[in-house]
Amino acid sequence: MSTTLGTDERRGELRGTGGAGASTPQNLMIFVLSMALFGLSNIILEVVPDVSIGPVEFSVSYFVFIPLTLAALVSPFWVALGAPLGEIVFTDLLMGDFSGLAEVEGFIQMFLAIFVAGSIIRNPRSRGQIFLGALLIVGIDKFLSAVVDLAKVWIGVEDAEFVEGLPQSILFLESLGFGVDVIISGILFGAIPALWLIPELYGRLEPLLGLQPREPGKPFPGEAPKAFWFVAVAVLAGLGSFVFAFLEAVDLSFGVFEPDFLDAYGDVFLWVGAGAAVVVLAIAVILFAVWRKRRAGRGDLR
Amino acid sequence: MKLARKQRDVLSVEWVKLELIRTAYATRGGLISRMDPRVVIGWYVLFAMAPWFTHNLTTLACLFALASVFVVISRVGPLVLGLFVIGLGFELVYLVLAATLFGGDFTTFVALTEVTVKLGVVSLVSLAAFVSLDPEKLSDALLALHFPPAVAFAVSYGYRMMPILVEEFSTVMEGYQLREAPPIKGGVLGWRHLAHWAKIVVKAFYPIFLNTAKSVRTTVEALEARGFTFATIDPRGREIRLGSLRVTGLDIAVVAATVVAITGCYAIGAAWPLHRT
Repeated sequence: MSTTLGTDERRGELRGTGGAGASTPQNLMIFVLSMALFGLSNIILEVVPDVSIGPVEFSVSYFVFIPLTLAALVSPFWVALGAPLGEIVFTDLLMGDFSGLAEVEGFIQMFLAIFVAGSIIRNPRSRGQIFLGALLIVGIDKFLSAVVDLAKVWIGVEDAEFVEGLPQSILFLESLGFGVDVIISGILFGAIPALWLIPELYGRLEPLLGLQPREPGKPFPGEAPKAFWFVAVAVLAGLGSFVFAFLEAVDLSFGVFEPDFLDAYGDVFLWVGAGAAVVVLAIAVILFAVWRKRRAGRGDLR
Repeated sequence: MKLARKQRDVLSVEWVKLELIRTAYATRGGLISRMDPRVVIGWYVLFAMAPWFTHNLTTLACLFALASVFVVISRVGPLVLGLFVIGLGFELVYLVLAATLFGGDFTTFVALTEVTVKLGVVSLVSLAAFVSLDPEKLSDALLALHFPPAVAFAVSYGYRMMPILVEEFSTVMEGYQLREAPPIKGGVLGWRHLAHWAKIVVKAFYPIFLNTAKSVRTTVEALEARGFTFATIDPRGREIRLGSLRVTGLDIAVVAATVVAITGCYAIGAAWPLHRT
């Protein structure tokens, strides 16, 4: 397929690419490109009506193949930063669909999913790796949000009267939704288009950005560094996305399963929401500080 | 094909595009578009936090009405407003379904509506705030709040490029539709049409990838020629860019009026409390 290289051999150094944290023009290009394309795909999906049977939605959540293609061909780190931002800027801000803190939760989940999946793909021409990458993006993103959803119900039910069969039905619905998402978003609109698109674009897209195509066996810009701090940030980010969800959970779960809690507990519970907001803010600040440190100390990443 | 044509007649793509351009370039006038962008973001945070501290339905209804008033005076366009109303409608349908599924009755439904109203207030406020801010102002505000310069640039680029990208995509889509014959038979529920449409959408992304990569490179190189990276390093660049931001009496008046109005909502809620039973 590729026009530039016939074999998997290494040839020459990668040129013109900065590290994971550098704000070089090339990284800015990758960032903006992934933002624009993922945002565009989300606008197109806005037009498509969702089919939902009961509470299970049979819809395309997002076009996974777009961030996957970019992450496989260029830098996973900048694509992972750009793609969720594109969704927020293009659809959420512009369409007025901005849901505040829940957006941050979605951003972190999507960032982790794309970053990990993009780092898994070492060889953009390997079909197995592309397939795995597509499944990983949907898997990580949807698994995290499903866990958060389950936790919301669990928290709500723990303090309230136990509702017969509720945990089972929620677990069933969540796993059903997860399965539907993996099949529709992960395989139909993830792996299958990516299997066609990635080899097709390999060696054609990179020169337009002034990059050399990624070659197997070579380190590439923005891959996951196997360092301790990366694991720490990932865990913190996962925790962060969890706490963001709790702000909703405090309201939603108690609202649903304990209608008269206000009489029982007074206004104290309202301040649980405020407390959660403070925790959320603290974690956001920590994450931001880590990110900046990472930008500053890019020398020791490689 | 019939399916696609029907959709197009109801909501012409051309109209959607024009409406998006109008939204992106904003300034239908309106109160909030005359305000300082930093103050608008502060105002948004203030208003968006307000509904989360109460479970009082009277207060929430008042806040919803107040947010609607702001949407009207900031002159939000019909497309975004329509999408919001449709979204809210679907949310309500889902709530009814969820309530019946969990064996709930009307109380459960009301309980779930509370969350919808809260989210509705937040959405209305973000409509009013972000539709009124044009891309330059919004990215200036983000820069002033110490967001990374790349994010500020991304916002203004996204707003500007979106109508162009959508137009380009629809042109490519039409090209593919002309070149490829649609399926003769629809199959069950017209799944062949759906599959055909999905295939074309995916295929259309191939040229879009390459075109966008080219235009992005041009843009970034033009930016670099004008010293974008240097401007982010040198604090003077930031000062020049943010020098035009001024907080005026209008800003203070609007924020003060909003605070008074929100307090009023809480007072009304306290006077005539309406909780779920």
